Parts: sequence; C-alpha cells; structure tokens
Amino acid sequence: MFAFVLRRLAVAIPTLLLLIVFSFTLMHLAPGGPFTGERALPPQVLANLEAQYGLNDPLWLQIWNYLVGIVLHFDFGPSFVYPDRTVNQLIAAGFPVTLTYGALSFAAAVIFGVSLGAIAAIRHNSWVDYLAVGVSIGAQVLPNFVMAPLLVLVFTLWYGLLPGGGWSFDDPSFWIMPVIALATSYMASIARITRSSMLEVLGSNHIRTARAKGMPEHRVILRHALKPAMLPVISYLGPVFVSMITGSVVIDIYFSTGGIGKAFVDSALNRDYAVMMGVTILVGALTILFNLIVDVLYAWIDPKIRY
Amino acid sequence: MALLELRDLSVRFQTNDAEVRAVNDVNLTVEAGETLGIVGESGSGKSQLSFAIMGLLARNGRASGRVIFDGQNILNAPPKVLNRIRAEQIAMIFQDPMTSLNPYMRVSDQMAEVLTLHKGLSKRDAVAQAVQMLDAVKIPDAKGRVRLYPHEFSGGMRQRVMIAMALLCRPKLLIADEPTTALDVTVQAQIMQLLSDLQRDFGMAMMLITHDLGVVAGSCERVAVMYGGRIRETGPVGAIFAEPTLPYTQGLLDAIPRVDQDDEELRAIPGQPPNMSRPPSGCAFQPRCPYRRDVCATIDPPLEAFAPGRARACHAPVPEVLGRMTRAAPEPDQPAAHPNEAVPQPIPRGAVAGAGAAGTTSTTEGQ
Amino acid sequence: MVIDQSKMQSLSDRLVQDEVKGRSPWADARRRFWKNKAAMTGLTILVLVVIFAIIGGRFAQWSNEELDFSVMGQVAQMGQPSLENGHYFGTDNLGRDLYARVVQGTQVSLMVGVVGAAIAVVVGTLYGATAGYVGGRTDQLMMRTVDILMSIPYMFVLILLLVMFGRSMSMLFLGIGLISWLDMSRIVRGQTLSLKNREFIEAARATGVPAWRIIIRHIVPNLLGVVAVYATLLVPLMILTESFISFLGLGVQEPLTSWGALISEGAGTMNYGTLWQLLFPLFFFVITLFGFFFVGDGLRDALDPKER
Repeated sequence: MFAFVLRRLAVAIPTLLLLIVFSFTLMHLAPGGPFTGERALPPQVLANLEAQYGLNDPLWLQIWNYLVGIVLHFDFGPSFVYPDRTVNQLIAAGFPVTLTYGALSFAAAVIFGVSLGAIAAIRHNSWVDYLAVGVSIGAQVLPNFVMAPLLVLVFTLWYGLLPGGGWSFDDPSFWIMPVIALATSYMASIARITRSSMLEVLGSNHIRTARAKGMPEHRVILRHALKPAMLPVISYLGPVFVSMITGSVVIDIYFSTGGIGKAFVDSALNRDYAVMMGVTILVGALTILFNLIVDVLYAWIDPKIRY
Repeated sequence: MALLELRDLSVRFQTNDAEVRAVNDVNLTVEAGETLGIVGESGSGKSQLSFAIMGLLARNGRASGRVIFDGQNILNAPPKVLNRIRAEQIAMIFQDPMTSLNPYMRVSDQMAEVLTLHKGLSKRDAVAQAVQMLDAVKIPDAKGRVRLYPHEFSGGMRQRVMIAMALLCRPKLLIADEPTTALDVTVQAQIMQLLSDLQRDFGMAMMLITHDLGVVAGSCERVAVMYGGRIRETGPVGAIFAEPTLPYTQGLLDAIPRVDQDDEELRAIPGQPPNMSRPPSGCAFQPRCPYRRDVCATIDPPLEAFAPGRARACHAPVPEVLGRMTRAAPEPDQPAAHPNEAVPQPIPRGAVAGAGAAGTTSTTEGQ
Repeated sequence: MVIDQSKMQSLSDRLVQDEVKGRSPWADARRRFWKNKAAMTGLTILVLVVIFAIIGGRFAQWSNEELDFSVMGQVAQMGQPSLENGHYFGTDNLGRDLYARVVQGTQVSLMVGVVGAAIAVVVGTLYGATAGYVGGRTDQLMMRTVDILMSIPYMFVLILLLVMFGRSMSMLFLGIGLISWLDMSRIVRGQTLSLKNREFIEAARATGVPAWRIIIRHIVPNLLGVVAVYATLLVPLMILTESFISFLGLGVQEPLTSWGALISEGAGTMNYGTLWQLLFPLFFFVITLFGFFFVGDGLRDALDPKER
C-alpha cells in the first residue's frame, strides 16, 4: 500500500509542477502585460513596475523563482493590482469560509446521496425508489446557479426565514442556503449512481451466493453489497470535488460569502493574474491531493487493484 | 417420505416486453442420499427451478406451487424460515465460480460467516473449520490460502472453494447448478469426482443441474429431462440412456460427440429452443420433432408413467420412438466420468465443437 | 448533472459484444427508443425548443435591443408579461423585450451546447481511437497525458483563458468543448482496444485490408452508438457550463445573451417584484436540459437494455 501511494505521488507531484509552469506560461503569453489595463500608465511607471515584479527577467528564471517561492515558502507572490497585499493574504482570507461550507456540502451530498440511492435500490419499485428517481432527475437541472436564486426567493424573500447573503462562523443560519445550493445537484447525481450500481450489485451472482448462505437481507447488504456498490460512487467523488470548488465561485458571488471564489472572480475582472494563478494552482493542488485519496480508497476496497 | 418434493412448481418472470413462463407445473421428488440429474438446454428453465426452491429468484420472478422439504412447504416462506434452511439444510453451488464468490472478501471471511451465522461459532473456530473443509475438497496449502481473495485462485480451485463453503454446515441436500460448465474439461472431471466422493462421505442428496449428459451418466441415479420449462421424461439413468423414449432425449443423446464413432458429422437437434415469452402452442418441442403429428400442435402431452419409475410426455407411442432410434446408447459412465479417461488422446473434431456449443450459460444471459 | 461513466462503459461493452456476434444493435434499439415514453417526451420538447429558437423571432413585436421607453423606470408595474403591448414575456430591467431576448438566448445557448459537444466528441473520439489503434508506447503516453489533464481544474483555467485572451464566442466554444473530451477519449480507447484484437479484425488485417478501411468498416460503426449517446448527454452539460460562466458575467457579452446571462439578470432583480425575468429563461433552460437528458438516457437504454 505504501509503495502504491508513493507511486501515485510520483505522478501527482510532476502534474502539479506542470500545472504551475503551464499557468505561468499562459499568463506570460497573454496579449498585453498585467498592467495594460484601462488606465494607461506612463512608460516610466510601467518599467518600474515590471522591474519590481521581475517581469524583465527571462521566462525560465521567472518560472523558477515562482516555483521556488511556492514550493519552499508556500508563497504565491504579491498581487498585481493591490501591491500592498500578497496573494497568500487574499487566499487566506477566503479559504476558511470556502472550506467550511464546501466540506459541509460535500458531506451532505455524499451522506444523503448514498442513503437515498441505496434505499431506492433496496426498495426497488417502491415509493422511495420513485421519489429518489424523481428527485435525482429533477435536481439534474438545478445546478447551483439556479438553486441559489430559487432558495433566496423562497426562504428570504417570501418567508424571511434565512439571511439572503453574508457569512458568519458563529451563526449556522448563514450556512444553510450555500450548503443546499451547492450540494443538491451532486447529491442527486450520487443518489443516481448509487442506485444503479446498487441495483447491479444486488442482481449479481455473489449476492445470490450470500443469500443462498442463509444470510439475513440486512447482512447481505451491509457485508456483501455495500462495498462493491460504492466503487462507482468513489470514482465519482473526484469530479464532485472539482465541480464543488468550481461551484463555490457562484456561491461566493451570489451569497456574498467571501470565500476564495470571490477572490478569483474579482481578480478575473481586475485582470489580477497573480491571484488567479494562485487560486488555480491551489485548487489544482487540492484536486490532485483529493484524487490521490480517492485512488487509495478505491484500492483499499477493491483487492483486484494492484498496489 | 421424500427429502424434497416439488408439486406443480411454476416460475413466471415479468419483463418489460412480456411474461416469461420459465418453469411450468414441475413435479419431482428427491430421496435422501439420492442423486437426481436435471438435464436440459440453455433456457429450459432448469436453473430457475433450482433458484425457486431456494427462494433466490430475481426480483421480477414469481414462483407458485409447493416445495416440500422435510415435510415443510418452503416455497415463498418468510425470510426467517428460509434462512434457517439455506446452507444448513439445502446448500447450493453455482455455475460460475468466478463471479459467485464475493470478489471483495477474503475466502476466510466468506466461509467463516456461514459458521458464525448458523452455528454461532467464534470467528477463530469458524476459520479453523473452513480450513478443514478446504482440506477436504483437496485444496493444497489450505491454511495459507484461506487468507487469499477469490481472484487469486484458479477456476477449478474457486469451484472447490464454493463446494467447501456449501458443505460447511453438512446440508442434507446439495443443489449443484451446472457446477462444471465454466471449467476446463480436465478440471470438470476432477470436480465431478470430488462431488461424488463428498456426497458419499457426507451422505447427502444431490440435485445436479446440467446440460451435459456425460456428467449425468457418470454421477446420477435418476434423470429428469426438461424442455420448455417442463419435465418431459424421468427415469433411472441407465434406462433413459439405453432406451430414450422421448424424441428430445434421443436428440440430446445423438448430439453427444463420440470418440468411438467413425462418422465425423455432429448430429445437432435442428431448430432453436422455444422462446418462453411466446411458447409454441401444444408441445414445446413439436417444431423440432421428427415424430411430430397433428395432435402435437394443439395439445401439450401430460407427463405420464408408462413403466415402473419412468414417465414421459409425448404423443408418439413408445415403440415408434424406440424403433426409429438411430444408434446404440452410450455406456452410462463412458464420457467424462473418470479423470484419467476424460481427455481422449486423439480429440475428435466433433467433440471440440460440441463443447463450445454447450458452453452457453443459461443463467447469466438475461442479466 | 454528470454522465455516469460506468453506464457508458456498460454500453460500450455491449456494443463490442454486438459487433463480435455480428448483430446490429440498431434495429431493436430503434423500436425500444420509440417505445420509451420519457425519451419521446424529451424529443418532443427538444423539437419544440429548436422550432422556438428558429422561428420564434418572427413573432416578436420588439427587437432584442430596442428599449421600450414607456416601461422604463417602472418595469415592475408596466413591464409585466402582456399581449397588449407585445411583450409576451414582459421586459427586462432596461425595458428590453424579454421574449426577443429569450429567443436570442435560446439560439446562443443551443449553439454553444451543440458546438461545444461536437468539439468534445470529435476530439475525444479521434484521440481515443488513435491511442487505442496505435497502441504500444504511444497509447501509454497519450493516456498518461489524459490522466494528468484530468486533475486540472478546468473551469478555472477556462476563466483564466477567457480573461487573458478576451471574451469572444469562439474562445467560449473552444474552451467549453476542450473541457469534456477526456472521459470520451477513455471510453473510445477502451472500445477500440477490445475490438482491434478480435479475430475478424485480425483476419481482415491478415488478408491485407488497409488500416483505414478496418477503422471505417469495423471500429467507427461501433463507436457510433457511444458517440451518439455521449453527444446527446454532453450538450446539456455544455449548456450548463456556458450558463455557469455567463452567470458569473464572464461568458457571452452584451448585446448577445444566453440562458445563463438571462438567469443571472433575472436572479439579480427578483427582489424588485419582477420574477418573470427569472422564470421565463429558467423555464426554457430547465425543459431543454430535461429534453436532452431524457433523449440521451433513452438512447443509451435502447442500445444497452437492462431488465429493471
């Protein structure tokens, strides 16, 4: 198992370095520099700025410095737009928020999705099943940017139950709508995948063997069916994770929660490449790390995977 | 009293397109210690018959009639009752050892859970007994290999594990559903030999479901021939092989590729088995039957006794069928019964083709 | 909101089996498809939406850019949907006719969806088929590249691209299309691999049939089923992606619009009592997604039937 993790890391780390080099090169190729904004700067100021940010160095040196900064000091450098703030500060301000509602959404999507899908499969063709199928089909067309306004419409504008935006670590009523908006469509997808994979497993030969051994149905499901039924769900968790981080951008904008999505969109609109790159690389690193965890989890469940 | 008695057992499947009548009004008995062979082509309903007995039909399947085991009707019995009987009284081994063992659990866990569940043994004792049983089915280094996963065994070894697992509780009846179909010919013979030995040692009855008449000839006392979901002929194995009174049985016997025959022609039964969602009217075999007469198209012949211990369902009179029999029946234990004789040295061309044609799996096709 | 890869794998396996057994899956599939009520409903919806996109503009009383000064400043009261003043769907907050804008948004969103899906399918198929057919080290390298690309946060890179190279439609098409070809290429590669070593293909190769004929005669027809299902299921995902970006204001730019942009506008103004500005675009968005999902699922179930 240890060797397996090492081998995965051996792929993951170059991937991350490639991502850094790729985004940096991309930024360098962009037409106009980062400072060719709406306000035209005097050439002298521009030259000073470029010197200050090291933009006159050869590309490889710039990339090298950037890489060294990230790898050794976890330092993404200064913001291009707000010279007094570093990318680290901007990210650090939003990250705890994103992490809080992101983790809650992820947990909610997995727990409710798996339960709903599994119960639907076990009670195939019952009302639970129809409900699960209905919910998961319906929620397919309710992505976060549709859920968010609908939730605000109902819970804030009509009933006035929940705050329509903002964030507080102390008051969970601020968390509810972001979590529901972000989790719903993934919960539905997970329920769908769990249901179909559970149905498939329940109809498979080794489950018939387990039943022929005289095991009570709940033991058949818990001991024999659940593990294999989870495999497709586990391999779907990687994409869910990525999409949720992506979706957090909408959440941050719509609910003004102030997570890293906000920093990203602001920087996109300001052409603050340093922050955009910082966020992209951070998200990429998290994705790679998460995929690594998923791979290990998968290998742990499926003995046929060679370590 | 018979150990197992089936009365008017029928199985229906509700599919999207139609109702499939997989098994129709089957009556059978199995005595304690006896071996009954159930023979039929793919799709004849023989596997579904065995699943119905154990209450293992797929969700869309419904069984009706009665299954009397040890004097108690267990068909559609509540799960609690069935679970006391499964594995403890009636155990089952399946066609495909590759997929019938749980690929995600160690063999030790899969076997031990039978004993912890039914006998209340501790995990440690259960594993110890599992190892003993693996020894009994002649798995080398059972103690070391019990910790492995199923995919780390070869096909024949996996089937041995299946058998060992089925026998853990010393059942009175073992239902073997095509136990050798998925295996190599040499391994087939070994497994059949093992089953016969174990059956004798354990004194249990066995219901052997197969499409392979050679397997039946080598190990069964009585045979029931199924076609189109119904039993069409029953009798002692020797009598049926010597004097098949049913055109279908005759066709099956003719279709066995033989080593001792000169002609290289493979005599397959012409036509296809019936589609059981739209069964032909009258006798199901009628479209393929060389003895067909007018009445066959309208009336399905009932299963009637015509000699002691023998019954058949056919409109053609016995003398006519026997009279037109094309050749002598094989010696009952001639094909594939003993490991050493299992592979004839010069392999006849027909034999290879025959094995391929028979290898289709009736139980996995629809899934 | 996602294509179930295990189901796609099962479909792919089934199609390989069909080819090996010499069956054509299409005849039965057509019958099953026409009998599938959900798929038929979906198809009807899609046909209606497409008709709406094509000829809906002719019925508009206002163009999509015209400002109706009579409702300006009092949109909540005067800009409601009405037949009298010709604003069937009401007006937006600037007094533009929402009907005309929804027609335009439908055109743009459908186009982005179809073109994006087409790009993804073409790239994915070519890449996967090449990797599978060539095999060996090339295959290893190509698929390892896919593995690496899989762990890149695409939406962020796409936004990065849109910001750096300007927000043009072609950039949007390309960016969205290039997001989704990875899964497709994996399935296609697997199918190509399992077909290429079959006896009949080896026989064809042995008798000197050129590679391109083998690919056209045996590989491509088998990919068709997967490609058709994938394309149908990708279109709604592309529409979702585009809407997502437009919702953030980074997608199509004024005066063009799309469902995502309209939903975003409607969502921004709904607390002023102009709910129709959200609901009309949302309605078309939702039914179209349903339509595509139903048709795609129906197509897959028709080609890979399971008794459930």
